[in-house]
Amino acid sequence: MKNYKKYFLIFDKNADLHYLDSGATTLKPKMVLEKMMEYYTEYSANIHRGLYPISEKATEEYENTRQKVADFIGAKYPGEIVFTSGTTDSLNLAAAGWAKRNLKAGDEVMVTIAEHHSNFVPWQQLALKNNFKFVVSGEVTKKTKLLAINHVSNVLGTVTPIKSIIKKAREISPEICVVVDGAQAVGHMPVDMVDLDADFYAFSGHKMYGPTGVGVLYGKAKRWLEMEPTRFGGGMIKTVSTTESTWADGPEKFEAGTPPIAEVIGLGATIDFIKEIGRENIVKHEKELTDYLIEKINKIEWLKIMGLGISSGRLGVVSMYSEAPGMGTSHDMADILGREFNVCVRAGHHCAMPLHTQFGVETGTVRVSLGIYNTKEDVDELIKGLEKVWMTFIKK
Amino acid sequence: MDDLYKEIILEHYQNPDHMGKIEGAIEAGEANMTCGDSLKIYAKVENGVIIDAKFEGGGCAISMAAVDMLLDNVIGKKLTEVKKMSGVEIEKMMGVELTPSRKKCAYLGLEVLKKLG
Ligand SMILES: Cc1ncc(COP(=O)(O)O)c(C=O)c1O
Repeated sequence: MKNYKKYFLIFDKNADLHYLDSGATTLKPKMVLEKMMEYYTEYSANIHRGLYPISEKATEEYENTRQKVADFIGAKYPGEIVFTSGTTDSLNLAAAGWAKRNLKAGDEVMVTIAEHHSNFVPWQQLALKNNFKFVVSGEVTKKTKLLAINHVSNVLGTVTPIKSIIKKAREISPEICVVVDGAQAVGHMPVDMVDLDADFYAFSGHKMYGPTGVGVLYGKAKRWLEMEPTRFGGGMIKTVSTTESTWADGPEKFEAGTPPIAEVIGLGATIDFIKEIGRENIVKHEKELTDYLIEKINKIEWLKIMGLGISSGRLGVVSMYSEAPGMGTSHDMADILGREFNVCVRAGHHCAMPLHTQFGVETGTVRVSLGIYNTKEDVDELIKGLEKVWMTFIKK
Repeated sequence: MDDLYKEIILEHYQNPDHMGKIEGAIEAGEANMTCGDSLKIYAKVENGVIIDAKFEGGGCAISMAAVDMLLDNVIGKKLTEVKKMSGVEIEKMMGVELTPSRKKCAYLGLEVLKKLG
C-alpha cells in the first residue's frame, strides 16, 4: 500500500500523528500551502479592480480556479460555480437566494434524517418562516418542490444513489429543485454534475485537502438566473445610483465583497494535487483502507458500527458506539485515543443529532474518517487504542 | 501522561454513591446536548445546610464521576458556601488536571448545583 504522507508537511513535525478525522477537515498538502504563499508573496493584490499587472495576475489565478472547479466536477460552464465560505454558506445561499424566492406557502421542502445540521437547519428555518411544509425522509410527491440530500453521509459513510433518486424525483415532481450536500464526497470520489443532474451542489475546500474559508455552490445556469443575491456590496453590482442598483451578470453577483482570494487560488492547487495523485488512486487507496478498518472493527465485540457494518456502498467514514455498561461515552473513548495514542477521532453527534436520535444513540458515537495520507498502521494504532479503552473500563 | 481514568474516578463512575432521586427535595437540571450529558441533582436542605443529595442522568465517565465526588463533598455544607465553589476545586477534588474540553464535562455537576434553590 502506498504512503502519501510525504505530501503533507504536518508529518514532518508529528511523525506519530494518526489523523483519522478527515471528515471534520482534511490535512493540507504542501502544494496547496505553496500556492497560497505564492499569491501572498508574488501577486498579493485584490481582484477585478486593479489595472496593474499583479492585480491582473491575481484575477487570472482566481478565475482559473473557477474553470478548474467546473472541469473537476463536470459542470457545463464556469459561470455555474460560485465561491462561498464553505458548504454551510453554500447551502444557506441556496435556501435564502433560491428557495425563499421561488417556493410559495404550502410547498413541500424535504430533507433526510441523515443530513448534517447545515443541510437540515437552513431548510427547517426557511420552512418555518415562510409557511413551507418541512418533511423529513418522506415520500416525494407532486407537492415536493425541493429536496435537500447528502451525497455521502458524514456519520454513516454511505454513498447515496443521488443520480437515480434525482431521476425518480423528477418523474414525480418535474419542477423539483434538488440540492445536494457534497461535502463528504468531492475529495474522495469522482462527481459529475451533468451526469447527476442536481440543481445545486455544495462543498467545502477544507474537506478535500484545500484551505479553510472557501467553498463552492454549483448551480445549473437556469437556477442562478432564478436567484436573487442575499449579500450586497462591492464587486456584485453593475450600476449603483442614489435610488437603485443593478447586479453583475455572472457569478460575481453572488460574491459580494473581497472574496477569500488566497483560499480560492489554494483550492485551484488542491484540484491539481488530486489530479496529480489521481482520483482513481484516491478511491482505490481509501477503499482498501475502509475494508481493512471495517474488518477490524467488526472483530471487536463490544463495539457496534452505526448503520451498516459492511464495506460496500460507502466511503471511509465509520461511526461506532458501545452498549457495554460502564464503558463511558464516545468522549471518553476519543479522549483516551487522543491522549495516549495520538489517534485523532471525533466524538459526539457530528452535527447530526436527528440521526443519532433515530438510532437511539443519544450519547453520541466515535467517528473514524479516512484520508489519502492514512495507512494500515493508523488503523492498527486505532485498534490498539480501542483495546486500551476496554482495558481501562472493564479489565481494571 | 497523567492518569485521568484512574481507579478512584472509575469507581465513582461505575459505582456511584449518590445515584438516585429524593422525593420532595429541591432540584435542578441541565443537559449538554452536544456532549450527550444530562444531569439532575436533588438536594435536601435544612437550615441552609445540604443534608442529603442525589443525582440522576447519564454522560461521560468524567462528568458522572465528578458529580458523584462533588455530592460526597458538599453534603453537610451550607448551600450558599457550595455555590461559591470554583472549577479549580473540582479538579483538586478529582486529583487531575483537565484539558479545556474535559473541564466542560467535569464542571457540569457544579453548574447544576449552583442552580439549586
Ligand atoms: C455532510 C456535511 N455537510 C456539511 C458540512 C459543513 O461543512 P462546513 O463546516 O465546511 O460548512 C459538513 C462538515 O462538517 C459535512 O460533513
